[in-house]
Amino acid sequence: MIDEATLAQMNERYVCPPDAEPAWREACEYGFDMSLVEDTLRLSPEERLERHQRALDMILELQEGCDSHAAK
Amino acid sequence: MPQNDKGLLLRLKEHDVEFVIIGGVCGVLHGISLVTQDLDICCRFTPENLRRIERALKNLHACHRLTANKLPFELTDELCVRLKNLYLQTDIGILDCLGEVAGIGSYDQALKRSVIHRMSYGEFSILDLDALIAAKEAVGRERDLAAVKLLRAIKKRNETGKNPS
Repeated sequence: MIDEATLAQMNERYVCPPDAEPAWREACEYGFDMSLVEDTLRLSPEERLERHQRALDMILELQEGCDSHAAK
Repeated sequence: MPQNDKGLLLRLKEHDVEFVIIGGVCGVLHGISLVTQDLDICCRFTPENLRRIERALKNLHACHRLTANKLPFELTDELCVRLKNLYLQTDIGILDCLGEVAGIGSYDQALKRSVIHRMSYGEFSILDLDALIAAKEAVGRERDLAAVKLLRAIKKRNETGKNPS
C-alpha cells in the first residue's frame, strides 16, 4: 500500500519541504527544480562537471540538429 | 561547436597557467543545475602567463571570437602588455579569460577568495560561494540573478549541513 505522501511525490512536481530554509524556498518558488539541485549536491565536484558536460553535449547536439533542419 | 571544459582545464593545468575558475562552470562545481556554454576563468595578465595560455591552446586554432574576422590568437609583446581580457574560441570550446572579476577585482583578489577543488586530473582554484554570488550580483543580468537564488540556497544548505532528503 502506497501512502499518500509517496503517491503525491510520484504524481506531483517537487514540493519544497516545510522546513526548508528561506533561500531554498525562494529558489524553488522562482521555478527552479530543486530536486535537481539536491541530486547534484550529492555528487562530487568532478561528477557535477561530468554531468554538466553530458547535458551540454546533448543541448549542442540538439542545436546542431535544429540548425541543419532550418538550413534545409 | 563542441565545448569540452575538462579538455580546456587539463591543457591550462598542464601548462601551469595561473587561473581561477569563475562563471557558470564555477557554479556547476558548487552544485547549481544550470548549463553554461563556455569556460570563464580569471587569470594573471602578465606576459609569462599569457604565453602559457598561448602554449596551452597550441594547435587548437584559437581565435579572438569577438573580433570581426575572428583574428587568430597570436601574442606579440605589445599585445601581452595591452590585453585586459581574452575572449577565445578554440577547436574544443570557448574560453574567456578575464583580468578582473566584476564585484571581486583582480586575479590576486579572486585567488584570495577562492577554494581548491580536487579532481582526478588535478587541483583547481574556483571562486568560493560568497565571491561567486558577489560576482554574479555585480554583473546583474537576469540569468545571473537567477543563478544567485540557487547559489544562496546551496550556501545555506552547506552551512546548515543538512543533507538533501
